Amino acid sequence: MSHHAVRRLILVGLMLALSALITVINPVFLSSGNLLKLLQEAAQTGIVAVGFTFVMITAGIDMSIGGVVAVTSMVCINFLHYTKVPIPVLVFLSLFVGALTGLVNGFFITKYKLPEFIVTLATRSILAGLALVIAVKDSLGFVQNVYIQNDSYLWFGTSGLFGIYRTTVAFLILGVGAQIFLKHTRTGTNIYATGANPTAARLTGIDTDRTTIGVYMFSGICASLAAVFISSRMMTAMPELGLGSEMDVIASVVIGGTAFSGGVGDVWGTMLGSLFLALIKNGILKTGISPWIQPIAIGGIIVVTVIVDVWQKKLREHLEARAKLKRLSAERGRDAA
Amino acid sequence: MTKVENGADLLLECRSITKSYSGHVVLDAVDFSVRRGEVHALVGENGAGKSTLIKIVTGATGRDSGEMVYDGTVVPMEHLRRDAEALGIAVIYQELSLIPGMTVAQNIFLGKEPLRPLTRLIDVRKMNDQARELIDRYNFPLKPTDLIDNISIAQRQLVEILKALSGKASIMIMDEPTSSLTKTEVEMLFKIIALLKSEGISVLYISHRMEEVYALSDRVTVLRDGKLVKVLDKEEISPEEIIRLMIGHKLEEKAVQHELTPKGGKVVLEVRGLTSVGKFEDLSFDLHEGEVLGIGGLVGSGRTELVRALYGADSFDAGTIRYLGKEWVPSVRKSIEGGIGFIPEERRLQGILATQSITRNIGIPNLDLIAPRGIVSVKEEDRRAARGIELLNVKPPRPEQLVGNLSGGNQQKVVLAKWLVRDLKLIFIDEPTVGIDIGAKEEIYDHIRALSARGVSVLLVSSDLPELTRLSDRVIVLRQGRFFQEFRECVLTGEKILRAASGIREGDDE
Repeated sequence: MSHHAVRRLILVGLMLALSALITVINPVFLSSGNLLKLLQEAAQTGIVAVGFTFVMITAGIDMSIGGVVAVTSMVCINFLHYTKVPIPVLVFLSLFVGALTGLVNGFFITKYKLPEFIVTLATRSILAGLALVIAVKDSLGFVQNVYIQNDSYLWFGTSGLFGIYRTTVAFLILGVGAQIFLKHTRTGTNIYATGANPTAARLTGIDTDRTTIGVYMFSGICASLAAVFISSRMMTAMPELGLGSEMDVIASVVIGGTAFSGGVGDVWGTMLGSLFLALIKNGILKTGISPWIQPIAIGGIIVVTVIVDVWQKKLREHLEARAKLKRLSAERGRDAA
Repeated sequence: MTKVENGADLLLECRSITKSYSGHVVLDAVDFSVRRGEVHALVGENGAGKSTLIKIVTGATGRDSGEMVYDGTVVPMEHLRRDAEALGIAVIYQELSLIPGMTVAQNIFLGKEPLRPLTRLIDVRKMNDQARELIDRYNFPLKPTDLIDNISIAQRQLVEILKALSGKASIMIMDEPTSSLTKTEVEMLFKIIALLKSEGISVLYISHRMEEVYALSDRVTVLRDGKLVKVLDKEEISPEEIIRLMIGHKLEEKAVQHELTPKGGKVVLEVRGLTSVGKFEDLSFDLHEGEVLGIGGLVGSGRTELVRALYGADSFDAGTIRYLGKEWVPSVRKSIEGGIGFIPEERRLQGILATQSITRNIGIPNLDLIAPRGIVSVKEEDRRAARGIELLNVKPPRPEQLVGNLSGGNQQKVVLAKWLVRDLKLIFIDEPTVGIDIGAKEEIYDHIRALSARGVSVLLVSSDLPELTRLSDRVIVLRQGRFFQEFRECVLTGEKILRAASGIREGDDE
């Protein structure tokens, strides 16, 4: 069994153990209502994290996702407040916001060779400001809380068959589709190659610039999609929606086993990661621990995950070197004999 | 025996290829040709122009003038990597160009994966089957589903070869393919080369290892200083002849002959059985007070790795080191405190802080002296920098000058100055004069000699043969990570070192 599989198995085991522990403390955890909520929570972060996974596999990082969520939700609120645009058109426009942001990010990263972190941090700031600028204001100029009353828009955030939230369904479809895309299409292979060894990828004729721009666009689209679901579920949106959620997204992807160094990881892992994170958050609430612990726990989990990964790698290398040395001395012994 | 060369028999023909980089001529009207289905070796010392010639053939770089015909097609001046690939020119890169984390089959078919007609998804089964067919055809020890991370360097090279063969390669260029392989792996590679040849594929082979060139090649082209020296036919090939042609009349220069006079004195560094898996093996030697011990060998023979381990920059797996008579487990910090200096191989990457001033660069390894309580004494730092600049005649002698803006020679002087302003007992020097003009070179030689005269022991690694012969009191030649030969109390020439490095053992003649 590969060490990736072992890692995943440990994660699932840990989740089961945690679930059992939380249930013992508060049996409400196992109620279908809570579990459906938990899944929905995981899906909201998870949808953004799927796009982020693509970026991280190319060894990039997208800090602009929070800004995309904020601006997209403000765009939606504006259209819902002032116009009667059909909902499918509105959703299309929303996704366009994310795609455009990704295009801009990708353009500066590839054409001007600017560091991913700086570029996307800058677009995040610009988008955060833009969200405030376009937010619906009252006569005094204060941001006005607009309640969404359009039923077709609210459809996204509610639950359907068996009480499963549509966000969860969307997350599952997106996740499965993205995983198949990554593992079974040429573009997917190019994404791994670009992250693992860009020089080799270029020598093989892969257009790494196009691949890079593509993943940032996909990341933006995912963030916009999440914005639609979140604002629909909340029936309103604030201009700062999504800002600060970057941490949860990064945590989901890292816990899922995608490496910052690129070339390694997949969507299955990210889906598990976002589920794990939602479980921790839900558990903190259900066991009555102070919710302020949440960010501390998430930061801690990221560090522990990375440390475990580094240790695992070192241990493997150490064992290999030992085996080699043994083989060498055995050979020398044979030579001497 | 004397086969007349006609156009049909030539796969690649280059006529008077010239190339210069910023005024410096690297290739000077070189003629070069490869026949269909032959194994052709390209040899020459470092800087002879081999790599540039290969780059021109593969389209990695352009040429200034000269004609090139490949397989009956006139290759235009604008010749790019993918054009070369389309012509059937395949390259096995020295730094392997595989994607870790992917399988053998995925790497072979990267960018040309077989797709299912309807869904446009990759047909994994078909891809693995095709990979298996290729593997079986050449009888390679590989599985299509093996992950690149889990196979050996030699196997990775096989994947590279298959990757090239899955296209339509008519020539396979191998740049130092054996530098990281074990003996059995090299033998396997030889079989593969023979196999390729039997399929009518030409192999262009670049190597420093004479016995390989000797064993494999149908013809050998020797380059020296950017010029074609000679093309040897099968019957003319012998290691001695190739080395003679590579070095040329440089050998007759008086300066490269050097009488070795070993220094007794007390032992400063005692190395026993030092081993670092995959880098060097079972090395033992003593270094005496004030002695310059030269380490010769080809690139990849483990020289750099050895000095890095001795300095404490890398760890090692077995063996013992004694420094000044005491058991010594090196670490960079201990080395500096114990009076050991280190001049690394890659000046720009490892030697200097390009964006910092001369003063800062000299100050960095001397913080224990200029900032004993953690706060840098600017006065002391300036004093030491001034001393370093004066001592080594750094130009311009402005302490605030950023080191990145200095010439290569002056950068290296700054690197040397870092260590000369403190009390040294031992210094490891790796390739001290690469890319440095003659004047600065001589100055650096003077300083190395002065160090030795002061009783400082020097371990000198160099690929520059005259440099090694002129400076050393004693020379050890490494080969494939092992001790090969020691030269002491004799008249040393560059040729002797090169022969040893190439695996030719000196008889007790002369």
